[in-house]
Amino acid sequence: MDTTLIAQYVLAGLVIGVIYCVMAVGITFIYSVMKMINWAMGEFYMIGGYLQYLLITLWLGPSRWYLALPLAVLGAGLLGMLIQRVLLRPMFVGQVERLDEYATIVTISLTVLFRNLAIVLFGPYQFSPRDYAPAVMLGPLPLNGSRLVALLGAIVLLGVFAVGTRWTWFGRALRAAAQNRLGALSAGINLPWVDTLAFGIGVGLAGAAGALLAPVFLVFPESGALSTVKGFEIIVIGGLGSLPGSIVGGLLLGLVESLGSVFFSPSFRDVYGFGLLLLILALRPAGLWGEQTREA
Amino acid sequence: MGRADPRGVGGGFPGSGVRWAIAAGGLLLAALAPAALTDYPVHVLTVAWYYVILASSWNLIAGYAGLFSLAHHVFAGIGGYASALMVIRTGVPVPVGIACGGVLAGAAGYVIGALTLRMRALYLALATWAFAESTRVFVSMEYGITRGDLGLPVPRLFHTSSPRGYYEVFLLLAAATVAGLALLLRSRIGYRLRAIRDDEGAARAAGVNTVRWKRFVFAASSGIAGIGGAAYGHYIGLLSPVGMRFDEMALIIIMVILGGQRTLAGPVIGALLVETVSEALRAYGQIRMVLFALVVLGVMRLYPPGLAGLAREAARARRRGGSPSA
Repeated sequence: MDTTLIAQYVLAGLVIGVIYCVMAVGITFIYSVMKMINWAMGEFYMIGGYLQYLLITLWLGPSRWYLALPLAVLGAGLLGMLIQRVLLRPMFVGQVERLDEYATIVTISLTVLFRNLAIVLFGPYQFSPRDYAPAVMLGPLPLNGSRLVALLGAIVLLGVFAVGTRWTWFGRALRAAAQNRLGALSAGINLPWVDTLAFGIGVGLAGAAGALLAPVFLVFPESGALSTVKGFEIIVIGGLGSLPGSIVGGLLLGLVESLGSVFFSPSFRDVYGFGLLLLILALRPAGLWGEQTREA
Repeated sequence: MGRADPRGVGGGFPGSGVRWAIAAGGLLLAALAPAALTDYPVHVLTVAWYYVILASSWNLIAGYAGLFSLAHHVFAGIGGYASALMVIRTGVPVPVGIACGGVLAGAAGYVIGALTLRMRALYLALATWAFAESTRVFVSMEYGITRGDLGLPVPRLFHTSSPRGYYEVFLLLAAATVAGLALLLRSRIGYRLRAIRDDEGAARAAGVNTVRWKRFVFAASSGIAGIGGAAYGHYIGLLSPVGMRFDEMALIIIMVILGGQRTLAGPVIGALLVETVSEALRAYGQIRMVLFALVVLGVMRLYPPGLAGLAREAARARRRGGSPSA
């Protein structure tokens, strides 16, 4: 088979893989701090896309998409923080029994709410913002400009995230909360506020992925569904609560999907990821980087 | 908040006699209802009884046994496809097909239950969800057997699309489901399931074979869903992967939470209410789903016992001599 074609698919797989990483890092970050899974992650992706589209078309104009990006991310993040304050904080102040169940039901209800709210507000239509940049050539390989922007944006985001959680005071507080909530609390960290911010950052990442990919995968009420699927596949593959697992899982998934499409059939693209997932669950039930935890 | 009823069976009302009287009265009313209604409302109620079956059986596995499965709608779909394909390919009578669909869905549930035995709550939810999504994708791609997204035409049970007759079938299935659950939860098995939910380690220490009963409850609830899904397919006359979308699972969850989790009456009230109200508001489009989601968020946040809990509290207040609104 043609090497250029394979290289083309590998490149496409890596680009998508990096975006998947952003989603997965958001999911796993929220999990590691709050010990809950946010099932509404894809809806924040969708909201990020809508915010980006609305900002571009109503206010900033298509040429200033780069100004809209941070605003869309901020909007999604703030909405997430509001939701955390109103709906999820009761989990941590002893008002709720069965935390897993509460968080699952609340976030699944949020998916229903946002998806249908999008239909009510904007209709079931697909909106497509203009490409962010013209196509470029990476050596012999052409790459769609929006995908390139999405790739670079995702790398920048992941870099900022990695630096922020590693070297800033606040990042340390977040990691402390992820490791040991009681310990973090006794070290004087304001846990309720850390939770709120962690949720905001996590869904902000999803919003960023949605805004970056708006011209590629378009903006519509169910646009988040597929990204939720991919995000969850990755965290199960990589291991819940593991950031390196999310990165490797994301790239792996992107590659497997791309190469599966070129070597087998593109129509089964979404099945390959599940194949990978089942394979890894069979070999390592807690995922590649997952901890083998014991039930207390 | 989600307390188990001290008597074990989380019925809606105090006093066994009152509870039976209400159940019998409701059943009688439900049986007589079609006589006074035109075809369309009867159809809506038939579908509502279908959802009563799904919601009640999900309440068994998620509410009583604490296994938060997110594949319940897919077990119904598996039952539906299995039964339809049996009837189409081998020509067996429809009721036999429905029974086979139930058995097959139950077997699938047993396997999933066995695979997820060691998983903690969140992983179980993720694993069942992954199973559900991959099954849906597979069915929608698999044109050779299930005709994929084109949909599979299914022979109808009574060779007619009128809901008359089907209504009674679904009412009977729903009543049998609820009655079966009542008996099950009253038995030792019911106590074992609740013990596993509340503290698996302690249940094991007390001699409960947690492995066996977790697999059992997966098989039982999936089997019930499979029978419901199979009957539904032979009523609607068309199966498609749309019924396996996650929205369907979200709808079941909404029904159970709204009505009241961990009660027998809750899923019945929730399913009937959600289905009829959403039909009544059909003209207003998706705003009804927005409303349901908001109500569920409100219930979870402010009053987790749901409508059945509300009714129970009102009945208690009345028994104490206070007014029900107090």
